[in-house]
Amino acid sequence: MRKRESSWGILSKLIITFSFIIVAAPLLWVLLASFKTGSDLNDPTLVTFTPTSENWKKVFSSGIFQSAGRSAFVGVITVAISIVLGSMGAYSISRYKTGKSLTRFGILAAQVLPPAVLVFPFLDLAYRLRLSDTLVAVIAAHLSFVLPVVTWFLIGFFDAAPKEVEEQALVDGLDRFAAFRKVVLPQVAPGMGAAAIFGFVLSWNDLFYALILAPGNAATLPVRIAGFNTFRGVELGAMCAAILVSVVPVLIASFFIQRRLVRGISGGAVKF
Amino acid sequence: MSFRIRMILPLIATFVAAVGYPLFYSFYLSLTSYKITQRWDSHFVGLNQYRDVFANSDYWSAMKVTGLFVVIGVFLELSLGLAIALSLQRQKRFRDFTRSFLLSPMFITPIAVGLMFRFLLNQQLGAIPTILDKVGFSYDFFGSGNALFTMIMIDTWQWTPFMVLLILAGLESLSKQPFEAARVDGAKPFYTFRRITIPMLAPILTVAILIRSLDALKVFEYVYATTRGGPGIETQTIQYFTYQTGIQYYRLGNASAMAYLLLIIVMIIVVVLFKQIEKTRRL
Repeated sequence: MRKRESSWGILSKLIITFSFIIVAAPLLWVLLASFKTGSDLNDPTLVTFTPTSENWKKVFSSGIFQSAGRSAFVGVITVAISIVLGSMGAYSISRYKTGKSLTRFGILAAQVLPPAVLVFPFLDLAYRLRLSDTLVAVIAAHLSFVLPVVTWFLIGFFDAAPKEVEEQALVDGLDRFAAFRKVVLPQVAPGMGAAAIFGFVLSWNDLFYALILAPGNAATLPVRIAGFNTFRGVELGAMCAAILVSVVPVLIASFFIQRRLVRGISGGAVKF
Repeated sequence: MSFRIRMILPLIATFVAAVGYPLFYSFYLSLTSYKITQRWDSHFVGLNQYRDVFANSDYWSAMKVTGLFVVIGVFLELSLGLAIALSLQRQKRFRDFTRSFLLSPMFITPIAVGLMFRFLLNQQLGAIPTILDKVGFSYDFFGSGNALFTMIMIDTWQWTPFMVLLILAGLESLSKQPFEAARVDGAKPFYTFRRITIPMLAPILTVAILIRSLDALKVFEYVYATTRGGPGIETQTIQYFTYQTGIQYYRLGNASAMAYLLLIIVMIIVVVLFKQIEKTRRL
């Protein structure tokens, strides 16, 4: 019995070590390449070389920070709208069964929609309203997928939250909206956090909508990074640096949100 | 107006504007010969676009490519995700650090992941083929016959963490009693895994497979970053094909019909799956 236990233990350590290498190696290699000169890049396995900061300078002066700022702006606005409208709607759906299963199904079905179905109307409308190549068009498009996901998460959290406290608040004389705001929302706060993070990541990572609706002056970070797609040796280093600009904040953020996310999801979000 | 209606109305209004309107408008577009370069010259063609799409062998090839991508990719991610989540659950030291690091790929912008692997797997300048070459093993990752599998591996690298996250969350929410009972009864680990862990995880595994499959159907970034559909049309996924038709050839009407047909097919699959899930739940 003991022996079998320990062989499982060894296997699980092996799995973790192996996955660690698989995740780390590509990132480290790109990091290395981002400090190489054009000619050093011709030898992919070169490990010792004189590092250059040229690639990073090129990327920093390419407007990548403005693009990151735009992505953050789009993400924050989209998530803010989704959280406010989503939590109110989800509460109504969860507590009062508003619209019965139709609303629940509608919200679920919206997540099934291929983006290719929605993007052309957005594009056409943006043209007509002279909003093409602006962030307004991108935010509207991002709402189409962030809003359903966030609402879906929140319905799960409201379903799981106990009803007694809120009933007590109503008895104590709070009106229903005040009870919702002051008593119910704090109960689902961890779940809201997880839903907000998820929504933000979805918006932050989107290339498809942003590339079609705002390919030029209002380029978001993914669009800007896609612009570094090149195979000329000289610019390969810059491409690597650009990749890392998007990776580094994510690595830092995932360290802080990981535990909250695991707990938030096991708290009841992912259920039918 | 009652409280519950007032609470849900803003959501529904936004939902109709951001999802309902484009949904109906794209259906209308799919019935016209709309081209964004010749907007004044758009006329109603009824179901002709759909007939064209049905007869387009590239469309069905893209469907097949996407289908293979989804099925193989999600299967790999699920198997690896289970193994990694179970290992992580046992881990005691460096727990937070390992978890956040192993989960991080799913937060990286997919286009960056695509470009990263385009670079690493490149035949001349990539590290991986060069190393393989030195040990006497030559493999062209983006060559004919291999490119789709490479695409699947990229997807697996990025999205196995998502499976790990959901399964880990599921494992932590399971009640401990059945495991205690199994341990007391002297059940072997594999037996516990097959008879207790898997059945208890089944609901969350279903959700994970469903979310991941629907997401994998939308694959676009890796194709855009690496092969642009090639060699030939071997890696041309449905999302990429629709993008090309609509954006590069400006044929919005045609592209909308493609997207709509995809939507109908996906809806049928989802409804059938749902029925299946309902059935197994009642048993």
